[in-house]
Amino acid sequence: MIIDNSNLLTKRCGRDIVHRWELNPLIGINDLDFNCADIHNAGVVYFQGEVLLLVTIEYPTGHQGIHLARPTSEGIYKVESNPFLHQSEEPKYKRHESRGVLDGRVTFLDGVYYILYNAFGDYGYRLALARTEDFGTVERIGLISEPDTKAGVLFPAKIKGRYARLERPSDGSIWATYSDDLLHWGGSELVISPRGGFWDESRVGAGATPMEIEQGWLVLYYGAKDTPAGPIYRIGAVILNRQEPTEVIGRTNMPILSPRENYERIGDVPNLVFPTGAFVDNDDCLKIFYGAANSCICIGITTIEKIVENCLESQVEY
Amino acid sequence: MKKTRCPAGDLLHRWEGNPAITMEDIPFRANTVFNGAPIVAEDGVYLLLRIEGQHGYSFFALARSTDGFNFTIDEKPVMLPAKEGPFALYETKGIEDPRVTIIEDTCYVVYTAVGDCGPRIALAKTTDYVNYERIALISEPGNKDGLLFPGKIRGRYARFDRPIGLGKGCIWVSYSPDLTNWGCSEQVIGPHEGYWDEFRVGASVTPIETEEGWLEIYHGVKMTTSGPIYRIGAVLLDLDYPSKVIKRSSRPILSPREEYERIGDIGNVCFACGAVIADDGEMKIYYGAADTSICVATCTLEQILTEAF
Repeated sequence: MIIDNSNLLTKRCGRDIVHRWELNPLIGINDLDFNCADIHNAGVVYFQGEVLLLVTIEYPTGHQGIHLARPTSEGIYKVESNPFLHQSEEPKYKRHESRGVLDGRVTFLDGVYYILYNAFGDYGYRLALARTEDFGTVERIGLISEPDTKAGVLFPAKIKGRYARLERPSDGSIWATYSDDLLHWGGSELVISPRGGFWDESRVGAGATPMEIEQGWLVLYYGAKDTPAGPIYRIGAVILNRQEPTEVIGRTNMPILSPRENYERIGDVPNLVFPTGAFVDNDDCLKIFYGAANSCICIGITTIEKIVENCLESQVEY
Repeated sequence: MKKTRCPAGDLLHRWEGNPAITMEDIPFRANTVFNGAPIVAEDGVYLLLRIEGQHGYSFFALARSTDGFNFTIDEKPVMLPAKEGPFALYETKGIEDPRVTIIEDTCYVVYTAVGDCGPRIALAKTTDYVNYERIALISEPGNKDGLLFPGKIRGRYARFDRPIGLGKGCIWVSYSPDLTNWGCSEQVIGPHEGYWDEFRVGASVTPIETEEGWLEIYHGVKMTTSGPIYRIGAVLLDLDYPSKVIKRSSRPILSPREEYERIGDIGNVCFACGAVIADDGEMKIYYGAADTSICVATCTLEQILTEAF
């Protein structure tokens, strides 16, 4: 259903360019057949004719794990009760995943599906990498950052012969880092930072896996603005040079999606929309899968063209 | 006109059509609209709106109405942050919370200029409500919620503002012979420990002259573990010495209760920015709700003076 655009109902909000799917949320707590505290974000992958989701679940204990969700014949998603990726008991990972694993983003590269996720352990957040070929079994590659790094995404192609990732170290900006073997990383460079006075003035981080488009890499990112009542998380977009991802070709002055609906404004973390995956179908329709209020998964719909236009437009006055 | 009164005892009645203005009513891309200051014009009531644009910083647009409830918004903003000149450095993060005062037929707007060094109070004027001429930046940084009294007090212009001293947000009054140079500042009211306004207070509505004194409708903040709660209260001040408090409401006259006041970019906010009083004493108070929309509440001047304190 969500792939068939002929009956895709969307809801407009003001002049926002991303329209919400009318049946949002796609997955809420009541759709699960197991007990959980809340539902965070979902990585997205097109696999064997289906759009699969890797959903971060917070368990009643407070720990987190990543569960696979598949579309059913009724057109809804069913989240598997057995975790796809769970906190590891292996000595090498145990201390670093003691609080769970979360926010898996999927990248298809050279015949392998890589999952870049956050390992949350005794020392804070670290980036970790796993791989699968069939979404049945998954194998860990390694812990690939020091603590205090989040929001990692792997580029779906090598850049100048090296693997490349985006990440958010403790400064709250998006950085690019490179590797020859997926285990040893270096050459880190700043990509974009928060902008004072803007909706993304407090923190930014990569959201969905970078998408290759005509102009370069399109990255959907989240921007946070701190208020006395807590942060507001919104979604923006940036286009990066294909060969030099630190060179910004365009960046949206305005968010492409902001919390407005009750399911985005009310939840464990209110006023939050957080993209972790996107998918372009044959009709050039871009579906953004986003977590809302750390409590459900939703879909926003737009086109690459509209986002590119928003990235490239000159600084509009209002 | 339909209105509802909250059974829990709010003195103000909410208009049943609230919220009066939301982002859906704005004819250009915007994030939110809130904190609108009313202007009584020949053909009705205008509201000078604070709009938070999609970038994240605020500017002003004009809404027009014949009945004070149903508004249409002009196609373009009327005042944007200065890009050049002496104001530009202090408006890099926008202009916020306009308050309108008419003094001797001139329409003045006191607003908060937000720049890299923080908020400052600034003054502008207009003759047609569409073009605004900046007069001066009239405070140092760390100050907001400025508004002018509607007449001179003991021969000088007077204003309220809200400096932050020792982490406390208090209402102060200052005086000026020329609207540009200000001094003789005195504290009016501070947070009321243990009460609904125990964290911060700030002036909200242009002071209303009554026989009993200046009626000031202000905002009070209580900080909770899940963020601040902004409510609306009233205080009555001496006509000649407004730093002298005659009476102060021990409870708010309006508190966030409706969904549109509880849910938004900043939940649990009712923030008044102006009031209009009809000849029969019926009063419309315009307030921002949850930093996301503009609402109207009503009562009579008489009710506030007799029941608020």
